Amino acid sequence: MHRFLQTIAILAVTAVVLSGCAVNRATGNVDPSVDLPALKTMYVRRIPADDGTHVLIANKLRTKGVVVSTGVEPPPDNVDAVITYIDKWFWDITMYMLELTIVIRDPKTDFPLATGNSYHTSLTRLSPQEMVNEVIDNIYKAGKK
Amino acid sequence: MIKWRPLNACVAMLLVTLAAGCSSPASREAMVPSGGAISKHFQSSVRVQTGGGSETGALDSSNISDADFKLAIEDAIVQSRLFKTVVQGADGDYELSVRITSLTKPVFGATFTVDLETAWSLTRSTDRSAVMRKSVKSTGTATMGEALVAVVRLRLAVEKAARENIGQGLQAIAELNL
Repeated sequence: MHRFLQTIAILAVTAVVLSGCAVNRATGNVDPSVDLPALKTMYVRRIPADDGTHVLIANKLRTKGVVVSTGVEPPPDNVDAVITYIDKWFWDITMYMLELTIVIRDPKTDFPLATGNSYHTSLTRLSPQEMVNEVIDNIYKAGKK
Repeated sequence: MIKWRPLNACVAMLLVTLAAGCSSPASREAMVPSGGAISKHFQSSVRVQTGGGSETGALDSSNISDADFKLAIEDAIVQSRLFKTVVQGADGDYELSVRITSLTKPVFGATFTVDLETAWSLTRSTDRSAVMRKSVKSTGTATMGEALVAVVRLRLAVEKAARENIGQGLQAIAELNL
């Protein structure tokens, strides 16, 4: 009986702890006044410590027909939009991207024109490329409505 | 005296995890700022729309739902009397759209600080002209002195950030000449 209770307790703890690792969220929204396909040139404002996410974002936007440049400096005057992002990483056996938020902004006012967010915890983790694809695809999907 | 055999330890862990793991969404009432700071009162009506929020799952951390955020903004407008009336449907003189752009929450910590950014746009209904477009950034902090349980502490921080954000947004509108 004691062994049975012990097994049940261990399973319960494991289930509770692991089920906390299966939260998924993916959203995208666009300001009603914004025509996303009209934004043809964008500048990805790189976070100085980031060594890869900005490249994934730039490459994904290029597949949407956007001319993209990146950098840590203030954006050039001739772009239609500026991209900012927040990538949150977490460790569970290996490091993985827990959450990614991408914001498309007006280059002159910094006003957020469109936003996408994806959140996937450990058991349903996605690769950084898949996270970027999901967020940008959701933004463009929301822009079609 | 409790002997910390594996069974006891597992049961204790289960209880602690369950007690700490029940998240709740930011409450509508707690997101409403006090209306005292706004002295301007427009004699027009407004319709409020919100977006970008998300529901709070049982195993998730506190989020702000679109419905609760909308109601909190409407309550704040009514309490501050910034607009004469808040209307539903398409009959308002102005349309206020508030989108949650980012809600950045910590995972661990004794003091939780949450950053919230929203996009506020106010449109005149008659000619669809944009009267205001503004990014509003706010921060909310909750300490262990306010709540010992982490999920409650995080909810308090989210509510503070939302309250501050709504206050700033309404203050920005109050500075306009409509």
